[in-house]
Amino acid sequence: MKKLESLRTRRFRTVASCFSVSRMLDWIRAKDAWGSGTVSCIMLFGFPDVGLVGVIAASHLVSELELSEIAFMDSRLLPPIIVLHQGLPHSPVRIFANHDVLLAVSETAIPADTIYPIVHALIDWGNSNEVKMMVSMSGIPVQDRQDIEKIGVFASASNPDTLKMIQDKGVQVLQEGYMVGPQAIMMQYCANKGVPAATLLAQCYFNYPDPEAAAELLKELAKVTGKKIDVSKLLDKGEEIRLRARDVMKRTQQEMSKMKKTQEYDIPLYVS
Amino acid sequence: MSTRRRRSIFDILDGYFENIEEWAESFRERLIERPSWDCRASTIEPLRNTLITPTEVIVTVDLPYAEENTVEVKTLGKDTIEVLAKMKRKIRLDDFGITHYEGEFKMLRCQARIPVPVYTDAMKVHFRKGILEVRLRRKNALEIPIE
Repeated sequence: MKKLESLRTRRFRTVASCFSVSRMLDWIRAKDAWGSGTVSCIMLFGFPDVGLVGVIAASHLVSELELSEIAFMDSRLLPPIIVLHQGLPHSPVRIFANHDVLLAVSETAIPADTIYPIVHALIDWGNSNEVKMMVSMSGIPVQDRQDIEKIGVFASASNPDTLKMIQDKGVQVLQEGYMVGPQAIMMQYCANKGVPAATLLAQCYFNYPDPEAAAELLKELAKVTGKKIDVSKLLDKGEEIRLRARDVMKRTQQEMSKMKKTQEYDIPLYVS
Repeated sequence: MSTRRRRSIFDILDGYFENIEEWAESFRERLIERPSWDCRASTIEPLRNTLITPTEVIVTVDLPYAEENTVEVKTLGKDTIEVLAKMKRKIRLDDFGITHYEGEFKMLRCQARIPVPVYTDAMKVHFRKGILEVRLRRKNALEIPIE
């Protein structure tokens, strides 16, 4: 089994190191309606992960803030999938926007061995559009989630200033632990590039879609962005979302197991 | 005379593990992957999870739209349980915008195999926030006294 793991790791690295930044930027194609870009806005990320918290929150934001599609990802690293909406093809990874928010969302589970280049390309694209801050929305799994009355939302940041800003706004900080998946790559890449970034993680089910957690996350996001989001429709449609999201959740589980997502339950060894 | 380069043991092992990985992937695709709904039986298969602890096996099932008083847990033999629940309302595929298939669903149904021996006749069932939890006590393994 160890051998199998080392083979997988080797393949991850190979895929990730094959692409230069300029080449990766070509993967994101702006639509005609997208002109010079929205300067100094926040860029949000919602990728399939535990409880599908990020995707559910992103989907609600698209309808609630009336965001329109301004760009999409066109890369051979994505699975050979298009998403049909009203008979027309769309890339599974798209960027939506209004005048002050950019939102990158994936409608399909991203293969574990392509997460690095895909997340890097999106961050580089955001950077080239002078985004002032990047925020990843996701979940953190908890056992016996159904017994939790008040869902906790935790944050981490790419630098001390951003962390302080988030703390000052009353968001709890995830002090110690492991982070696995797209948000981990995003945080590391933003920290290396000096881009202000944060990750918001709502307590959620590991492998069941969790609209309630997404609603709590959006409430905390409002503290960071200063924009209140009405989550009543999201909560009302909770059961419908859970039913619709089963297949995406199942595919996401397969990718999460390849990423060793359960490591987020682990207690870290503190090395100072 | 042709010179044939011998493959190292590591190359052979690499190939061996790659084959296993490919086989596992194709096995999953062919045998496990299927639609999560059954039009003929009018059922939708809910998501489920099985957790094995030292003393019990905990099976959870996500049952959106389930009517609580219709949730049923049956045992099928020694190592399988079946979960059934009527839905609060009928769901049609076109409710999800799917128009190229026709189907109407009124039940949630799934089966879970229990991978270790358990007492199926003494299970505890809870239903909270749309999540069904079935707890089955594990059969005791042989205790080895410490000398």
